Order: sequence, then structure tokens, then C-alpha cells
Amino acid sequence: MLLEMRNIRKSFSGVTVLRGVDFSLKAGEIHALVGHNGAGKSTLMKVLGGNYPDYEGEVVLAGEDVRLITPKTALAKGIAIIYQDFSLVPELTVADNIALGREPCGGLPGTIAHGALRKRSEREAQKLGIRLPMDVPVRSLGVGGQQLTEIVRACSQDVRILVMDEPTARLAPAERELLFSTMRRMAAERGVGIVYISHFLEEVCRLSDRVTIMRDGMVVETGVGAGYTVDSLAHLLVGHDLPQHEAISHELKLPLGGEEALSASRLTVHGRAPVDLSVRKGEIVGLAGLVGSGRTRLARALIGDISCPGEIRIGGKTVRRLTPERATRHGLALVPEDRKASGLALGASVEANIVVSALGKLLSRAGFVRPGSRPRLALEMIRRFVIRPPDRKKIVGNLSGGNAQKVLLARAVASQPIAMILDQPTAGVDIGAKAELHNQIRNAAQQGSGILVITDDLDELLDLSDRILVMTSGTLSGNYPKSEMTRARLLAAISRS
Amino acid sequence: MLQRNSIIGIVACGMLLMIITGGFDLSVGAVGAMSSVVAAAVIVQYSMPLGIVVALLLGLLVGIVNGFFIAKIGINPFVTTLATQVLVTGFMFVGTAAQPVYGVPESFTVLGLGRIGPIPIPTIIFAIVALVTWAILRFTTLGHYIYIVGGNKTAARLAGVNVDRVLVTTYALGGFFAAVAGIVLLGQTNVGQPASAADWPLTAIAAVVVGGVPLSGGVGQVWSAVLGTLLLGIIANALNLLGVSPFWQPAVTGAVILVAVGLDSYQRKRRELR
Repeated sequence: MLLEMRNIRKSFSGVTVLRGVDFSLKAGEIHALVGHNGAGKSTLMKVLGGNYPDYEGEVVLAGEDVRLITPKTALAKGIAIIYQDFSLVPELTVADNIALGREPCGGLPGTIAHGALRKRSEREAQKLGIRLPMDVPVRSLGVGGQQLTEIVRACSQDVRILVMDEPTARLAPAERELLFSTMRRMAAERGVGIVYISHFLEEVCRLSDRVTIMRDGMVVETGVGAGYTVDSLAHLLVGHDLPQHEAISHELKLPLGGEEALSASRLTVHGRAPVDLSVRKGEIVGLAGLVGSGRTRLARALIGDISCPGEIRIGGKTVRRLTPERATRHGLALVPEDRKASGLALGASVEANIVVSALGKLLSRAGFVRPGSRPRLALEMIRRFVIRPPDRKKIVGNLSGGNAQKVLLARAVASQPIAMILDQPTAGVDIGAKAELHNQIRNAAQQGSGILVITDDLDELLDLSDRILVMTSGTLSGNYPKSEMTRARLLAAISRS
Repeated sequence: MLQRNSIIGIVACGMLLMIITGGFDLSVGAVGAMSSVVAAAVIVQYSMPLGIVVALLLGLLVGIVNGFFIAKIGINPFVTTLATQVLVTGFMFVGTAAQPVYGVPESFTVLGLGRIGPIPIPTIIFAIVALVTWAILRFTTLGHYIYIVGGNKTAARLAGVNVDRVLVTTYALGGFFAAVAGIVLLGQTNVGQPASAADWPLTAIAAVVVGGVPLSGGVGQVWSAVLGTLLLGIIANALNLLGVSPFWQPAVTGAVILVAVGLDSYQRKRRELR
């Protein structure tokens, strides 16, 4: 056994997060760690990374008792961790990022040997079978390329254990496959033990040799990956059945062919072929495509953040000189991708974030915000979206991913929009929160909003949408009713270009 | 003590708004001096009400210029307001040949030295400005948007907030409040002094920061600016009463800022690390 963690306990100011966890890892295996948000999987991996020197329990690494006091001791033992938010310097080149913190010294002390650095970084990437452009700044790579850069950097030291926190959450299917083959090769050829945290259960069943399921700070069970199905995993994760979203009757929806909520004609985004699309009130339209196919750009164009030639109508009215402000006023709301960077004001309260788009509707005749109207709206949304903790003054940055995402969706819904664009509305949230968000999205559609959903999760797309638009190379290339769509067909449609 | 501090307090209220948006304004001192000089000149030449109105409008104008360059052109607040500070001071020296403007009628000092009952009029003006700032933050869309813009400009824009307009209005208010403070200053000295008020920007920033508002933006309340102003004032006053040499006073104030803000920031850092 490469690694054994026995009876690990950890608590934060009296709150026990890990209650005696046993975890083991063999050399050359891919071991998935799954669990609800708050189950303790990230905490367990942070203990392994040496971030919590005050844990209880023992860690045995290749037969040797070790005490992981600092990230540095963990790294020296060959434990590398790649966190969900990358720690890359966007302006530096790929080669520089790979060598960050261990740049080869040049002729004079304090100088860097750039040639040697570049060669070494390239060699390190090749060793893992990863091809990356060494001289471009990492910010110009996609998420997939950044992920690979992180892997090369993490594995440049003599790595025995590689921990990856949600590595696939924001990758496109093709990038995912590349990552998986890299992981398999590293495990098989170099004997690296890989721990991999994921919410994508299907991928967990397919990829991992073993799976450990955690719930409430304890291990539920560890078993062979091929022995699980998505359903059996989901069952073990939540400890009870998933909320039945089928319970909401789809019959209640407005009949198709209803009024138009959002439409665009001859919309030309960044010189690509012009786009025509229309979303009716009460309809959920999925927008499928690979990462980089231009879905987010289209969303930004529709809300007026990128100005493009073409006509955009919101609620049947043509909006000229479109800006996000004018779009919001006409009844279009956007839930942006990446809640941290472009979604929420993280330092502000739940209330401040929820009411921001709806504020125009809370004014008295004199133009002032009616006293009491903000808390009332915020509390109503907190109740409706079951945001935890139910505290309107809580700082959004301190909420869990799922709850932060609920705040973002609540903000859009609070403005009572005619149409909503949801860009990756469930990225990086756990399965329970995901189901709740799905219910809320369906609810909003039933109340008459037209909804355009962008997501990389094909099952989500198929599950939510009444109709699916396919985007390739910056323009729309297909429009399918849900009944004609299967997972395989959809995957084929988006990978064609 | 309350008289001088009221002036800093008025400036600090405007500074608070700008700090919540994630910026600040180094030109408030120049604007204050300009306001007192212009008011003095116009009062001597024409009339008192006209002098006050012109000074306030000029303050507003400089604020709008600041906001325009920060929001529309995209120069950062430090560089923009540093430039306008120098620019305004330069214009003022040209206009006055660096000479003080005398001849303001004695009656004008009621604004700076007068009292209503036991309360100095500058303090009343400070209270009004603080109340207005509180009302802006609480009851207007602008006040709400200031927090969101300071918290995350991209998020604010995509949520339908006109970020540029929020920034321009905020800096306009900052300039306006600085001009109000300049008029109160004229009321105290009765002389339009071009070389005055140079310490306002940093003292006002210090007051807001000592009150517990981080420069990173997105958070802050009026009472922080008021408390910070009072705290700095009380320290200065106590040092005077204790007979500490005036040369030592800035050193003590500096140490207080470091300790007060340092404790707060250190605690926050520790909390984030856990």
C-alpha cells in the first residue's frame, strides 16, 4: 500500500469535520473520492497536503510513519495537490509557470537561465506525454490547457501521489478524454497513485479503479469502481433518494408556440456566421457545444456586453443600443459562468447580491428604495431557493459553492425576467444542490420566463431542455426537439466542426 | 477640536463612498483649497450666495472629471486624482499668483466659528453631510450599486448596473463634499489660502480606514467614517492636553493607524487562512 491514512480526525473551532476517516491508496491506481459538498473530502485532502498540522490520526506513506505539518513536508514526500482554482500566474508563459518557484539559476546569483528553464519545462511535459505550447502566456490557453499546465507543474517534482480536486468540472468532453488518458498513463507507467475528487458520477464509474464514498465526515464505503453505477453511487452519497423532479408536471407548461421571450436575428458575433435564435416564454432551450465554441460569447452578445451587428428582441420588443443595463431593464437576466470572477460581489452580503438586478422595481414614486423592501425580497428568495444558512446578511464569499450558485440564480429570478440566460448554472455544485437548482429553473420556466441554458453537462442538458441548439465554431449548427435527442447523438453533433 | 475635525469628517464621508467603490480621491485637498479661494474671490467681487454656489459647482465639476477619467477612460483612481490634484493646484496658483485672497466680510465666519446653542456650526454641517451619505447608501439605487461595483465590477455590469454612471456620480459627490469642506474652512480663516488643505486626502483616507473600512472596496458604513474621524480627533486633542510636542503628534497618529488597521487586517488574514 502506497498510502494509508488511519482514523483521521479534524475539527474547526468545535465543529467536527472528519470523524475518524480511513483512506488508502495503492501505487498506480486511480482512486475516486466522492461525497456531497461538506462531506469532508476536501478537508481530508488538505490534511494530506499538509495544510492542517493539528489533525489527529496517523498517516503511513510507503510503510513509513509520517506527520504532515506543512505543505512543504507533504511535497517533499512526493504528495502533490491540484486545487479547483488554479494557482497559475496568467501573464507568465507555460514554461515559466511550470518552473514557478524553482527557476534554474543563471551565471550570476539572482539571475534566471531562461533557455535551460524552457528546455526543462518542455522535457517535463513530454515525460508525461502532454503537449503544450511553451511560449504563450497561460491566460491564452483554455481551461483544459491550464489544467494540463498545473499537472505538469505538480508532477515535475518526484511525485508519488497526485490529488486532483474536481479536475473535469469545467472541461469540455474532448479535453476530458485527454485528461483521462494522461491520468491513466501516469498511473500505469509511472506508478503514481491518483486521488481524484469529482461530482461526475458516470465518469467516476468509468475511470476509477477504486471509489471511496464519504458522507458527514465519515467513509461510507470503499469499493471497486466498476462495481458501481451512477444510481448506486448517488444513493450512497445522499443516504436517501434524490428529490424527484419528475414530480413537477411538465403538462403545466405553456404550450409551445407561445409568445416570444428572447430572440436574435442576423446576430454576428466576432465576425462568425450570423445567428438566428428564438426562445419562447415558458420554454427551456439548451445550448450545447464544446468549450470554445462561442456559447459564452453568444450569451454576452445577447445581453449587450459585446456589441454586435444584428437585431435582438426581448419580450417581442427590439432593443436598440443594447447594454447590460438596458437589457436588464427590458427583462433579460444573465447568470454568468464563473460565479467568482463575473457572477457575484463576493465581499457583499447575500441580500445585496440578490436584490441588485431587481432594485429598479423596488423604488417609491420619489425614486428612493422603499424602506424594508430589500430585506423582504431577499428573505423571500432565501426561502424560495432554500439558501443555507438562511441569513440575508451573510457574506456571499463565505457560502458553499452550491449556495453561492443559488444566490446567483435567485438574483436573476428576483428581477422577474421575461427571459434568462443561464451560463453553466450548476458548475462545481454537489448533486443535491444541483437537483434543487434544476427544480428552480423548471419553476421559473413554468412561471413564464423563457430560459436559455448553457452547460457542459450533457445529461443536465438533456434533462432540462425542451429543445436543444447546437453550437460549433462560433455559430448555431443545429436545432433539435428534445424527443429526437440522445446522449450519443448530442455528443456527435457538438464534436462535429 | 470639533471644528477642525468636522472639516475632515465632511471630506471623509465623500472619501468613504469612493473607497467603497474600490477607489479613493487624492484631489480633495486641492478641491477644498480651490473652493475656499474661489468662494473668497467671488464673495469679495460679487455676493456671498453666488460665491458659495460657484465653489460648490466647481467641486462637483472636478469630481465629474475624476469620475470620467476613471470610469470611461480607465485610468486608475490613484493616477487620475493625483493628476487632477496637481492640475487644480496649478490653476489656483496661476489665478491667485499664490497670494491669499483677503477681504471676506466678518459675517462669513459664522459658517466656520458660529454656534447654534452649544454646537459649532461646522459640526452641524458635518452631521448633515453624514446623514445625507447614510441616506444615499440606504435609500438610493446609487448607494446600493456602489457596494456591488466595489465588490465586483464585472458582476455588477452583467447584473445590469451602469458601472460608469455609478463611478462618475460617486466621484462627483466626493468633489462636492470636498468643496463644502472648503467653504467651512473659509468660514474659519476668513482668508482664501491657496496653499491650505494639502493634508486632507491622506487624513480623510486614514479616518475611513481607522473606522474599519478596507481599501479593497465593497464594504463600509457611514459610522465607520464618523468614528474614525472622531478617533483621530480625540487622539490629537488628548496629545495637546497632555502637552505633547506638536512635532510628535503625527508620529503618534501614524502609529495608531498602523496598530488599529494592522490588528484588524491580521485577524482577517488569520481567519482566511483557516
